[in-house]
Amino acid sequence: MVSTGELIALSPVLVVDDDESTQQRLVRLLSDLLGATHDIAVADTVADAKAIVPVFKPRLALVDIGLPDGNGVELIGWVENHHPDTTTVAISAWGHEEIVLAALRAGAVGYLMKERDDVELRAALQSIRRGGALIDPLIARRILSYIPFVSKDNLAPSVSPTESLVRNDISLSERESEILQFVAQGFSNREIADLTGLSRFTIEGYTKSIYRKLAVSSRTAAVFEAKSMGLL
Amino acid sequence: MRVFFVLLLACGLFASSVAAEQIPSTTNATIELQSAEAAPADWHSEAPPVDGWTPVKLMDLWDTRWPHHDGVVWYRLHWNQTSTDQPVGLFIDYVSLAYVLYVNGNRIYSDTHLVEPLSRTWIRPQYFLIDKPLLRQGQNTLLVRVSGLAGYQPGFGAVTIGNPDAVQARERRGEFLRYNVQVFDLSVSFVFGGLFFLLWLLRRKDTYYGWYALCTVVWSLYTINFLASSPWPFNNTPAWEAINAAAYFASTVTFAIFLLRYAGYQWPRTEGIMLVLCVALFAVALLCPQWTGHYRAVAIIFGCSIYYVAIFGFMGYAWRHPRADNYALAGSLLIPLVVSAHDMLLFLGVIRSDSYLLAVTSPITIIGMGSALAYRFAVAMRRAENFNLELQREVQAATGQLTETLKREHDLALNNARIGERLNLVRDLHDGFGGSLLAAISTLENPRLPPEPAQVVITLKELRDDLRLIIDTTTHERDTDLAGLLAPLRHRWSQRFEAIAIDNRWTVEGVDDLSLGAMRVLELLRFLQESLTNVLKHSSASQVHVYIRRKGECLNVEVRDDGQGFDLASVARRGAGLPSLRARVGRLGATLQIMSSPGGGTRLSFDVPLSPMALT
Repeated sequence: MVSTGELIALSPVLVVDDDESTQQRLVRLLSDLLGATHDIAVADTVADAKAIVPVFKPRLALVDIGLPDGNGVELIGWVENHHPDTTTVAISAWGHEEIVLAALRAGAVGYLMKERDDVELRAALQSIRRGGALIDPLIARRILSYIPFVSKDNLAPSVSPTESLVRNDISLSERESEILQFVAQGFSNREIADLTGLSRFTIEGYTKSIYRKLAVSSRTAAVFEAKSMGLL
Repeated sequence: MRVFFVLLLACGLFASSVAAEQIPSTTNATIELQSAEAAPADWHSEAPPVDGWTPVKLMDLWDTRWPHHDGVVWYRLHWNQTSTDQPVGLFIDYVSLAYVLYVNGNRIYSDTHLVEPLSRTWIRPQYFLIDKPLLRQGQNTLLVRVSGLAGYQPGFGAVTIGNPDAVQARERRGEFLRYNVQVFDLSVSFVFGGLFFLLWLLRRKDTYYGWYALCTVVWSLYTINFLASSPWPFNNTPAWEAINAAAYFASTVTFAIFLLRYAGYQWPRTEGIMLVLCVALFAVALLCPQWTGHYRAVAIIFGCSIYYVAIFGFMGYAWRHPRADNYALAGSLLIPLVVSAHDMLLFLGVIRSDSYLLAVTSPITIIGMGSALAYRFAVAMRRAENFNLELQREVQAATGQLTETLKREHDLALNNARIGERLNLVRDLHDGFGGSLLAAISTLENPRLPPEPAQVVITLKELRDDLRLIIDTTTHERDTDLAGLLAPLRHRWSQRFEAIAIDNRWTVEGVDDLSLGAMRVLELLRFLQESLTNVLKHSSASQVHVYIRRKGECLNVEVRDDGQGFDLASVARRGAGLPSLRARVGRLGATLQIMSSPGGGTRLSFDVPLSPMALT
């Protein structure tokens, strides 16, 4: 940890997953990270989660995409709408980018791949705690293909209504787009940091802001899209 | 034939007018002098002979009276002039060939050439104005010295005297009908002949254009007969007349051949005979102008017959082949037929008029024939244009079909390739992933070697990583180049090395547009994954550098680390992972180069040949 002062409080945390071993693994990882277990709740279904969230008021919810009584993307959207203080992160196994992207558009600020090593999952959670997010080349590529235009400068969002409409309500800053390009080519965060002169934590922050922009565009639309693509 | 008609014209003019000789003129009246006296003389006669005068009726052609008289004939006419207050007009209608005119003993006109080559004055009428003191009250005498040749209608036509305006009007009408119309005829012939000659030059296979052009040009040569005032370029009248008759004959022959061609016929023997006759006639005309000129009527009549036979023949053809252009041409040929019939009837006095029409209608005929040709040309053009349109439509349809077929074939090929890839993938799952899985199971099941949990995890993670590669490669191969397919592996391994603080560098150059095909890419990724796993597990390296560079027609792959290295000989014997790497490189069509020494790091490298097919 570089700086503890910048950490976001992730506790209490809710794990929504119907697979017991995954539940246990995630609880273990979170416990290692947060150092306490009493702030971690577990739900097996969408219904459970919807019941728990208003009472438990988690700061973080890890949501599996494939749940027995519904889909996680919908749950993420619901949480984002009704409890915007709760940060959501999608969980997927061998996740297809379309599914991950649907979750991001529904409001998730990150994703975890079940097949990854513990080391990698831990790194992802740490990144989330630092206020950032991790990203994979295939996801970066997919986001780039979603957004054909890139606004010149994020600081001066002088986007006219028509332009913003054309851009599907998403406009990335030049820096964000540059980072996505690097990620898509397979550069690691450290390499990108070397190339851009930014710290790797700043880069993680940019990644998160890209995810937020995706979510802002349309949450319900993302669910519909994912459904129509047969992913949910 | 034309010569005859000009003569008919002259005859007709005098026949249709009212004879009023020796009647005192009033202010507006004209009189036509039809009575005269004629006396022959030699070529060089300076004054009218004293005796030998014969009374004649004008117009007079002396060849009937003195059949062999070439030379001069003097004509003497008288008229009574009641008053000389007003001048009188004098109209000389026809003189063949050259003459000198005296009024009351005074010479008032003389042709340039009174001996051969004789002037050709007959081509146009002449008008004179006579006033006091030349004009006398009472009897006036007109003396005309005519130089002519017995063979070429020598003689003198009627003379009209009277009110100048009326006489001049008559002269002008004669000038128009006999001269101006011929000028027009000639011009039209040249223009149309020239036009279709050019057309023929551009379309040699449409020979009727050429024959039409030839016909009109030869015809216009003949027409010059009515316009030339001297026999130039010949130095005598018979030569001129002989060539002229030959030109007439040639025009009828070419006309007949034109009609044949137009109707689509070729009669080589008939045409050959006629053309040979033409050439022979020209030759004879040049060699024996006297003889040919004398018998030129034969050529004229023969040519005239060809002309009429051709016209009637074509009309029969048009009757049997009803087509607009055939009708147009037949119609334009009908004009000279009708007109010559009209002129003939007029000559015979069956109908009454004072105008012969053939000379006027000749240009109409030429224009009519030209129009028929133009119409035919236009029809051919239209057909060509329609043909082009139709052709274009058919080409478009064919192109469309071809495109569709090609697309279908392409789709089919693509589909086959896809199926092939899928088969490859299945085979790979059997041999690669499946093999590893079976090996892992048999190892774990071995009762004599109870598995350590850590070893089990390592084995399973290897399987997982391999599955990841398979998924990434097969899911994204379609729309992703090598650079894109390398990215997830690179990203993953960068993270792994970073997590355990191994400095890792990647140099990826010139692979942006490279496509190797799913199976080769998978092989390459597996090589990288295995060699990087080796670095991670065995090398204790602090630095690893991966190079993937395109070098011309090769893809150079290199993995270097600064780890502990190994003894090539001993490792080769034990074979810790190296045979697998070698096999993969071999499947990529390359040979693995290994450089390693204990403590000196390891370097694996190979060059994958890129077939031209791999370049997109």
